[in-house]
Parts: sequence; structure tokens; C-alpha cells
Amino acid sequence: MTALASHETSRTRATGASLRLAILLFVADPQWLVPSTIAPIVFGLVSFELFRGEGPYFLTYAILGAGMMSMWGQTLYGSGWATGQDRFLGTLEPTIQAPAPYLYVVLGRIIWNVVAGLFGGLIVYLVVVLAAGGPPQLPNPLLFVVLFVFVMVTLASVGVVFAAAFVYSRYAGFIQNVGEFAFYIGTGCMFPVVLLPFWTNPIALLFPPTWALDALRYVSIPGYTGFGWGWEWDLVGAVAVTAVYAALAGSVFTRVERHVLETGQLSDY
Amino acid sequence: MGATVHSAYRPAFWRTFWTNAVLAPRTSLGFMRLDFVLGTIFIIPLTQMVFFAFVVQLGNGDAAQIAFTAVGNAVATVTYTSVFSVCQTTDTEKQQGTMEHLLVSPANRFALYLGRGVIPILISFATVTVGLVYAATLYHVSIPLSTVPGLAVSVVLTALAMVGFGLLLGGVALYLRTSIILGNIFLFIGLLLSGVNFPVSSLPLPLQYLGDALPLTWGLSAIRGAIAGDSLGTLGLLWGAVALSGFISVSLAMGLWGVFERRALATGSIARF
Repeated sequence: MTALASHETSRTRATGASLRLAILLFVADPQWLVPSTIAPIVFGLVSFELFRGEGPYFLTYAILGAGMMSMWGQTLYGSGWATGQDRFLGTLEPTIQAPAPYLYVVLGRIIWNVVAGLFGGLIVYLVVVLAAGGPPQLPNPLLFVVLFVFVMVTLASVGVVFAAAFVYSRYAGFIQNVGEFAFYIGTGCMFPVVLLPFWTNPIALLFPPTWALDALRYVSIPGYTGFGWGWEWDLVGAVAVTAVYAALAGSVFTRVERHVLETGQLSDY
Repeated sequence: MGATVHSAYRPAFWRTFWTNAVLAPRTSLGFMRLDFVLGTIFIIPLTQMVFFAFVVQLGNGDAAQIAFTAVGNAVATVTYTSVFSVCQTTDTEKQQGTMEHLLVSPANRFALYLGRGVIPILISFATVTVGLVYAATLYHVSIPLSTVPGLAVSVVLTALAMVGFGLLLGGVALYLRTSIILGNIFLFIGLLLSGVNFPVSSLPLPLQYLGDALPLTWGLSAIRGAIAGDSLGTLGLLWGAVALSGFISVSLAMGLWGVFERRALATGSIARF
């Protein structure tokens, strides 16, 4: 009983300490938030200009899309760095040798990435609202906030899976930089996924943010035409896919730890 | 005797130029791994173009507006190599600890920086060409054969001017802690200010002036003009504007490097990361 309790504490402490360190590193050099907000701000303003005169709810599309892109960007780049930093700094083996599972160390970093992404989203929101001259109309603000938090949870789940995959790959940088737009398109950041060719829809639904974003648009844009099943089923789908991601991340990280302990080759880039 | 010593220790202009042209992609330029280069040429133009085409479609834009956006984004992706990659040379030199050696080297600076731009110019040319092929194939942008020579001149000049602009940002980055933020700003700001997704005339006047300061604005105008089959006289003026913007960028870059080099040698404070 005592051993179990200390085991659990160790995991919680590992995540807490990792989160704290991530916050301190961010506070020491917050300029790194800027690169991940520039593109969404520009895209938000461009979209606002392209949607000009199309109706009040198109502002919601622009803001929601740009904010989401900021959080996506932060998740995508942050998750690569969540494991990449250990390789870069030479701390991968020592961290994996520690009693706390590596997953819980990475989890702390990912949680901070998502929160930092939210800051980026807020900056984007403020800039686009300033350019538009006022905030967008929201029919149900409370539900919007609840769903927005849920979108962050789905992004965190994607972040953990990406972080796990990036340990095995030398192509994290390639996926982040070259694949950035593909993620924005595939998850329907700025426009509904249903606008894409039908064959792409099942692929898009493999990503939890696609479901969550569709739900978010249903509750914030009257007359929105997304997936035909409505926001409630979007939510169910998002929960299911997020659960799969969480399970996948746990399994991949266990495999990573076993692999590195057996071969000791993981740092070889 | 003095002249002999001088010539013995000063590498020839072309030697410096070619050495940098060959070595820079492996040493100081950012994102020059083969996978990144292929991704920049073949994937980024496609995904960026498709993204904005769908945004225009959502905003009830017609086929002409979508084609306008497709051409704009085909050309705008040139910034990945010409600006983002080139302006990182300064960061890389600082990170690798080679900046001090560079600053005390007798190599001709113009040859050195121009040499670094050779591969980015070629990749930029390839990126825009592939982007325009995507625009013609996917969004039915009409590019008649008769316009190809003018288009080729416009694309080459745009690539040259944009790399010149990247070198200018690299010069500014010498004074900064990192060039990443600067690179990110100018990687995307053209999408807003250069008439990539909508005509520059839609912007407020101060933003139009800002857009005029970017070589991408002139390069894009020249490319659009060439595709539209504008007369040689009209195109000549646009080519002149593109060339001038590139010339100003390179001149400012050389000036900035001179100023910051002197400052670095005098204070020893800006050559490190």
C-alpha cells in the first residue's frame, strides 16, 4: 500500500516538476511564443479580409480558425521539442533511467505547451478582434467555453502521441515545418472539413481536434453545416478518439522506454 | 612585397563565391536537408495554396478569386527558402561558433554572402515554378505558352530579389539574439501586405506603403503581369521595380554587415549566440 502510494506520488511529482520547469523556461524566455502566433495572426487577418461582407458569423470563423491554428502550431512544435529537447541536451538516457516513467515527464511539458498555445490563441483573438472592430457574436458563450477547454484536451492528447512518435523519428522537424498546413487543412481549422473531398473526411476524423472543432462551430455559428450528426455526437467522437490517443501514447512510451533500456541507441540521431 | 602578401592572403572573389555557394547549404543555411528541400518545393506550395483556396471558397469567392489566390500563394511560398532559410545563416554562424572566424577573415563579403544565396535562388525558382504548375493544374490558371519567357524572367528576378531580402534580414539578425522571430514575421507578412490573397488596394494606405517595401509585392505583380500577357513595356517597368528592390536589399544588407562587423570587432559583444 505504501509502495503503491509512493509510486503514484512519484508520477504526479514527475509531471508537476516537469510542468514547473516548462513554465520557468517559458518565463525566462517568453519570446518563443511569438513565432507560433505570427502565422495565425496573419492568417486570421487574411481570412477576415477574404470573409469581409459575408456576414457577422464569418468573423467567428476567422477568429476560431486563427486561434486554433495558434494552439495547433504550439502543440505540433511543442510536442516535437518535448522529447527532442532531451536528445538535444543529452538528457534522454538519464531521464529515462529515472524511476518515474518518461510519459509523465513529457506530459508536464505537453500540458504547458497547450496552455502556452492558449496564450497564443488569446493574442490572435485580440489582434483579429481589434482589426474587426469588435468581438464575434456567440449564441451560447458558456457552452462555447466548455467546448473550448475540451478542444485543448484533445490537442494535449495529440501532443502526447506526437511526442511519443517523434522519439522514434528523425523527421519531427520535417513534419512540423512542411506538414503544418496539411494539419490545418486536415482538421478544418479555418473551414469545415466537409468542404474537402469526401475521401479525406475519414482521415480528418482520425484527429480529435477535427471532432472538437466541428462541435465548437456548431455551438458558435448559427446555420453552420458540418458533419451531419451534430455537436453532441461530435463530442462523443472526440472523447472516443482522444481515449484511443491516450492509450496509444501510453503504449508507445512504454515501448520507447523498453527499447532505450535494451539497446541504448535512442540518442543516436 | 606588400602587394604580394596582400594577394597571397586574400582569397579570390570567385573562389569565395563558389566555396560559399557549395558549402553554405551544408553549413550555415537553415532547412537545407534534402527532405526539407523537397518538401519546400513540392508540398508547401500545394498545401498553402489549397488552404487559402478553401478559405476563399468558404467566403463565397468565385473561380477568378480562387485563381488569384492560387497564383499568389504559388509565388509567396518562395519566402520559405529565400527569406526564412537565408536569414538563419547568422544564427547558425553564432551557434556553431564560426562567427568570430568569419569576422576576422579577409574574404570579400559581397562574394561571401552572394555565394550563400546561389542554392536558395535555385530552390526559390523551383518552388515558384512547381507552385505555378499546381495553380494551372488544380485551379485552371491559364498560362499561355507565349507568356512563358516573360514569366521565367519575372520568376528569376523575384527569386533573386527575395534572396537579397533574406540576406538583408540576415544582416539585421546579426544584431539580434535570434533570427527566428524576424524570419517568421517576414515568412508570412507578405500574405497580408503583398497582394497574395487579395489586391493590395484593399489595404489601408499605410499598409500599402509597407507592402511596397517588400520585394515580394513587386515580384508578384511582375508574375501576375506576365501571366496576364502584359506588354513588354509594362513588364519592363515591373522587372525594374523587382530588380531595384533586390538591389536595395543587397546594398542595405552589405551596409548593415559592415556596421555590425565593425561593432562586433570593436566590442566583441554581438558575435556570440
